[in-house]
Amino acid sequence: MNLIRAIAAALLVLCTSSFGLAQAQERTAVRQGFTLPPNSGKTILLFRPTIRVGAQSTGGMFEPNADWTAQGREHMGVSLRQLQDRLGNRVIEASEPIGEQALLVAEHMALFAAVSSSVINYQFFVGNRLPTKKRDNRNDVFEWTLGPQVARLPGAADADYGLFIYTEDQYGSTGRKVLQAFAMLGGVGVQSGVHSGYAGLVDLKTGELLWLNADGKMGGDVRTPEGAEKRMRQLLEEFPGSSVQTAPAA
Amino acid sequence: MLKSLLKPVLLISAAAALTAPAALSANDLIKSGETVAVAKSTLSITPPRDWNKLSARPGKKAETWTLDGEQLNDISFYSDIAPGEPLLRERSKKRDPLPKLRSNSLLTDVPEFLEGTYRAHFGIAVFSLGASKPTKFLNEPAIQFTYEYVTPDELTRRGEAIAVLRSGKLFMITYDAPKLHFFERNIEDYRAVVASAKIA
Amino acid sequence: MRPMVRLLAAVAAMATLGAANPEREFDLPTYTGAYQPQNVDERGMWMVDDESERLTRDSRLVIRDEALNNYVHSVLCRAVGNDRCGGVRIYILRVPVFNANMSPNGTMRVYSGLLLRMRNEAELASILGHEFAHFEMRHSLDEFRRKRSTSDLLAWTAVLGTLAATYGGGSTQSYGDFRISVYGALFRFSRDQEREADILGFSYMAEAKYRPSAASEVWRSAMNEADATSTGRALRGQRYDKTAFFATHPTNLERADYLSALANRVPGGEYEGRNAYQAALAPWLDQFLEDQIKLNDFAGTEYLITRLGAEEWTAPLLLARAELYRLRANPRDLPNAVEFYRQALTLNPDLPTAYRGMGLSLMRMDRKSEATPSLSRYLELKPDALDADMIRSLVAPQ
Repeated sequence: MNLIRAIAAALLVLCTSSFGLAQAQERTAVRQGFTLPPNSGKTILLFRPTIRVGAQSTGGMFEPNADWTAQGREHMGVSLRQLQDRLGNRVIEASEPIGEQALLVAEHMALFAAVSSSVINYQFFVGNRLPTKKRDNRNDVFEWTLGPQVARLPGAADADYGLFIYTEDQYGSTGRKVLQAFAMLGGVGVQSGVHSGYAGLVDLKTGELLWLNADGKMGGDVRTPEGAEKRMRQLLEEFPGSSVQTAPAA
Repeated sequence: MLKSLLKPVLLISAAAALTAPAALSANDLIKSGETVAVAKSTLSITPPRDWNKLSARPGKKAETWTLDGEQLNDISFYSDIAPGEPLLRERSKKRDPLPKLRSNSLLTDVPEFLEGTYRAHFGIAVFSLGASKPTKFLNEPAIQFTYEYVTPDELTRRGEAIAVLRSGKLFMITYDAPKLHFFERNIEDYRAVVASAKIA
Repeated sequence: MRPMVRLLAAVAAMATLGAANPEREFDLPTYTGAYQPQNVDERGMWMVDDESERLTRDSRLVIRDEALNNYVHSVLCRAVGNDRCGGVRIYILRVPVFNANMSPNGTMRVYSGLLLRMRNEAELASILGHEFAHFEMRHSLDEFRRKRSTSDLLAWTAVLGTLAATYGGGSTQSYGDFRISVYGALFRFSRDQEREADILGFSYMAEAKYRPSAASEVWRSAMNEADATSTGRALRGQRYDKTAFFATHPTNLERADYLSALANRVPGGEYEGRNAYQAALAPWLDQFLEDQIKLNDFAGTEYLITRLGAEEWTAPLLLARAELYRLRANPRDLPNAVEFYRQALTLNPDLPTAYRGMGLSLMRMDRKSEATPSLSRYLELKPDALDADMIRSLVAPQ
């Protein structure tokens, strides 16, 4: 049992994140053979996105900001629906589950997090890839799943696909920016702000992960409608069959 | 400090990309049909499909294989664990001691040994042992047992293990995976690995 | 400067509670209702807290047994009064750690490890009341404001870290040090805040007619247990921070002393509620004991079981103690385990687990002929036990 390894990785990050490297990291993959033609009239069930918007204090910690988060949630929701409308796909928001169904949804959210982090850690990025996943990369294979029991999720019967979204934004505070300036003088890179996110599309009949986009350095100020739209564009970049234009770099 | 698992992964990837892959030693491919010694011992496996061996070992006399990452399917081999030794590497011998194998340990004690180790090491509050039954492993009387627990990331996981005591030393192979889908999906792959086990 | 200011504030607070007039020292202040967030920072904090409650609500660790939940809620209501307890949501978490806390949006988390350690309702009421007092006095909010202005990274983490739990975040937070926190440890409080909460807590106890000295006894035993754990692990010094409660509630002997002193002055009642408490906990006692035993903290657990047993050695307590000894299994532990199993069976001859444990202990001591009858009895009482096949293989002639 080697779960501890995931923690080791996380701990290493704790050492590097505050003085991390401001390097773009983005990767998208689509399951082989999956296409979603524009205007196919498919229904996408949107699970409650995890959206966190706040400031980064001088020490590098996250300070949540309710107004920003509320703005971000609203703006990104609007952008998401607009972009999806343009694809001809219908986005319905999952209703708030209760009781045993709430536990089932929570368990699937946790499973999706485990699958996504496995993809990101072991197939997407250089450094710690699994040999079998490297081979998959060479052969254009992207095979991950949550399992067919996703069909039992509340709302799944009335939809084709499930969309999971996670974004986190920490805007550098003034103190942080000052620290950043000082650190530059000393030749140490301090990142001001964190803007990361992922979006994943899951087939609600088979559980297969059809598409995953992960980005460790996203653009767009989600506190504004324009910025939120840019963020949503980035999150949905290369969405299968999409005509959503690639957003310019941050 | 306590951020989501995902973001750290993204960040570490960014860091790793620039600081050269050597920062994390590579995971190895275990090829199907080839016989390999595991966990630095005379225990050998001839897997019928390809596996990945993680470079990080959970203990001095342990080794982990996975198909999709240890969060999704994890086979761990423990070999030659002697009386007085813990199953996994202890974070702190004094502050967070793990249960130790005893010279008087019986096969029937192994499930509780694993349970105590998991609870203490992974901070697991909900853990239950399932059925256990006698079987043969490495040509000797052995125990096979199952278990289920909730990890702190709120995922329910299931496990199956097979263990034998040879001259008081423990040899064990475990399989851990999320209860949702993954446990069932790869349980036969695990059993095939167990079936191929030999000891010199 | 700040500590001084805080101290003065604390003194002022004590004065307003009637310290100048001993007769009225523990009169309850009028309850002003739950505080609502006022500005951007506070709304941010509440929002994260709401999200955290959402995660807690859907957690597999939550014990949903209605009877137990109703009982714990009724104790809080009896302790702090119906006008105060109304809006509180209590979540009982199956986590074998001595901890409880309350966050600003009115969520109270009570850990199973806390319930296991309480001997009666008065002790539970003292802890719930203490946590509610922090809530009523908005201490977490003060801490939040204060810590924002410091650069103490760790302190800051303690304030927001667990609040900010998100999916996939659980694993990183609790592997570090499970004892400090899984869901809890939301806030660290200053010594002055603790004192304020203690005084208000005693006021609740007085009003509710609970026996006030229960509060100081709980604190003292918690410290003794932490000492036992340290001694058992041959650690130097008193590592109270290993107990979750002390990680968030800095304390020391002086505190236990002033609690005793306060308890003597409180015009409380004598209600202890031992029977009511034990009845409510009974369906869960075996499970909570098992969770504790398997923490691999022999000395701390031995202290805890002995403390509970000091009032009355019941069969479940003797059985738990026997299991504790059997699981450590030093050569000298096994004869002790057998003796405790025997005592448990004297009180209740229908305990399959006791026959199993006694048989396995004897087997490990190479006393197979004595072990066999015990194990056979186990199989008679529980022929469908999950490990029946395995135990049968021990009993069968080889």
